[in-house]
Amino acid sequence: MSRSDFDKDRPDAEERPAEAFRDDEPELAGEPERAEVDVAGYGLQVEDAETEAPDELDGDPSSRISVVSESRPRTDQEEFRWHTGTKHSVEGVEDAIEFLDVHKAFGRNRVLRGLNLGIPENRISMILGPSGTGKSVCIKHMVGLLYPDQGDILVHGESVPNMIDDELFEMRRKFGVLFQDGALFGSMNLYDNVAFPLRQHTDKGEEEIAEIVNGRLREVGLGDANDKMPNELSGGMRKRAGFARALVLDPDIVLFDEPDSGLDPVRTALLCELIKEIHEENGGAYVVITHDIASARRVAEFIAVLWRGRIVESGPAADLFASENPFVRQFLSGESQGPLGME
Amino acid sequence: MNGLLAAPRAWIETFGEIAGFCGQVLGQVFGGRVFRFFGEALRQAGILILSSTLVICGLVFIIGLQCGIEGAYFTRGTGTPTYAGVFAAWCDLRELVPYAFGYMMAAKVGTGIVAELGSMRISDEIDALEVMGINSMTFLCATRLLASWMVLPFVYIASVGAGFFASYLAVVVQIHEVSAGGYSLIFWMFQNPPDLLFSAIKAMAMATVIVLVGCYYGYNARGGPVGVGTATAKSMVLNIVLVHLIGMLGTQVFWGANPRAPIGG
Ligand SMILES: Nc1ncnc2c1ncn2[C@@H]1O[C@H](COP(=O)(O)OP(=O)(O)OP(=O)(O)O)[C@@H](O)[C@H]1O
Ligand SMILES: [Mg+2]
Repeated sequence: MSRSDFDKDRPDAEERPAEAFRDDEPELAGEPERAEVDVAGYGLQVEDAETEAPDELDGDPSSRISVVSESRPRTDQEEFRWHTGTKHSVEGVEDAIEFLDVHKAFGRNRVLRGLNLGIPENRISMILGPSGTGKSVCIKHMVGLLYPDQGDILVHGESVPNMIDDELFEMRRKFGVLFQDGALFGSMNLYDNVAFPLRQHTDKGEEEIAEIVNGRLREVGLGDANDKMPNELSGGMRKRAGFARALVLDPDIVLFDEPDSGLDPVRTALLCELIKEIHEENGGAYVVITHDIASARRVAEFIAVLWRGRIVESGPAADLFASENPFVRQFLSGESQGPLGME
Repeated sequence: MNGLLAAPRAWIETFGEIAGFCGQVLGQVFGGRVFRFFGEALRQAGILILSSTLVICGLVFIIGLQCGIEGAYFTRGTGTPTYAGVFAAWCDLRELVPYAFGYMMAAKVGTGIVAELGSMRISDEIDALEVMGINSMTFLCATRLLASWMVLPFVYIASVGAGFFASYLAVVVQIHEVSAGGYSLIFWMFQNPPDLLFSAIKAMAMATVIVLVGCYYGYNARGGPVGVGTATAKSMVLNIVLVHLIGMLGTQVFWGANPRAPIGG
């Protein structure tokens, strides 16, 4: 066969699996599903045989289970077939942050691919999703550290990418952010780190600052580590210190990137309680990224599940935990069987 | 052919980026934005004084000794040992003290800035600053430039003093072919206050460039700890080249047409 013959075959090959999936019932996510995907694999295999070969091996039921469940997606329909984008609305609440069809790529790595998401005001929201899908990238868009290639992000109705510098700095004062690895200033001790936002943005005297800072540090269990430098702390301690720093100005919008990773189970539970407590006191939109389903059950009022740069489903926590969507179900129960594999 | 042109094109691009960056930082200093963080600038100034004065003066002292020894033996060779002061005066003030100052600035202060800002960049600390509503370029770069302008003129004058003292030691105390009075007469006859000013301008130009280049490479560091390492090396290379360029241009402009040597009336 010549090259052009292959090309003629291609539309058919792509058509077939797409149609098959459209007819699929979500319940078919288990065994038969895999067979379908493999058919798709054969359909295109002729075109780039070398790159597909390892995939084919993974597709073999005798190889490792975690890799079996997902072969590489080939069409948009196939890729996003679980992404119903269903939004169970939260009654009577406006969105504090909105993503409107946001696209973002780093070189050839397309991270956000048409993200639509609303973070409700006055709720604790959680963004869940597999590692590496762009949750941290998503947070950086909210505060204007990254700019979308396409689409818009609104914070309290104002478009972040279109702000001039001064507006952006002003807008950021509404935010408290905990970065994934704490991002404490390495040249300052813990106390100065937490006191830094107060010293920069308020006219409070040292005594008042000391009171606030010591209070926050005690809340996260670092009351006696005041004069330690960040490099003398454990990962979990750095996390908690970053947590204290993010909250020290009582911000309107709080973004926590995995506040609970690197903490022991008891501390995780206590931290969750703390988040709830502080939220009850101050109100505001809290966004928590986590991989810990137990935490999600404990504190989340709103949940958004992110995968492949889009929202699979979002809504009040109860709705999501009762969701029929196979991906959401798999993810929220942490099972190895289902649409998500190692890739 | 394309491959041959790629390298120079990349250099020109980098150069353009550095120029743009420097323009922004200078704008923040002259525009007065930096004074919002005057406390931080003072802190940086303190760090500069404590960490750099001694090494700079030490290096210049050694260079001063060398100028003295060379000058004494050279003038003895031409049969005019009393004129050792001429050599020492010019060698110290016009050429080698600015260079020594520039080298030490590049090695100690420049690389220090790259390493510090670079590690802040890769550990998200700069992002954290930005998110707190603080303009990180002003807070980190403009304050450092302001600090160096506040402190370095005095450090430089002190180091010139160290160089002069060292030359005096070498010529008068160690080699001892000319009396202290005779040496001083010639030494001061061959330089005047404007020379000190010109020399200081040379040194401050070097210092400004070194701090800006350091800030650029640190602030824009990429690629983890390795990236910070390569950025440090690159900044050092560029700084050494620029120090020499400034030294050469300064000599041309200030003393090229009028060496101000009171020889033969
Ligand atoms: N500055 C960057 N430059 C290039 N690629 C990036 C950058 N930041 C993130 N990425 C890419 O974007 C993708 C998503 O990264 P992100 O950090 O948002 O993942 P995540 O969902 O937070 O994962 P995790 O749960 O493991 O933290 C990754 O593939 C990563 O390689
Ligand atoms: Mg992350």
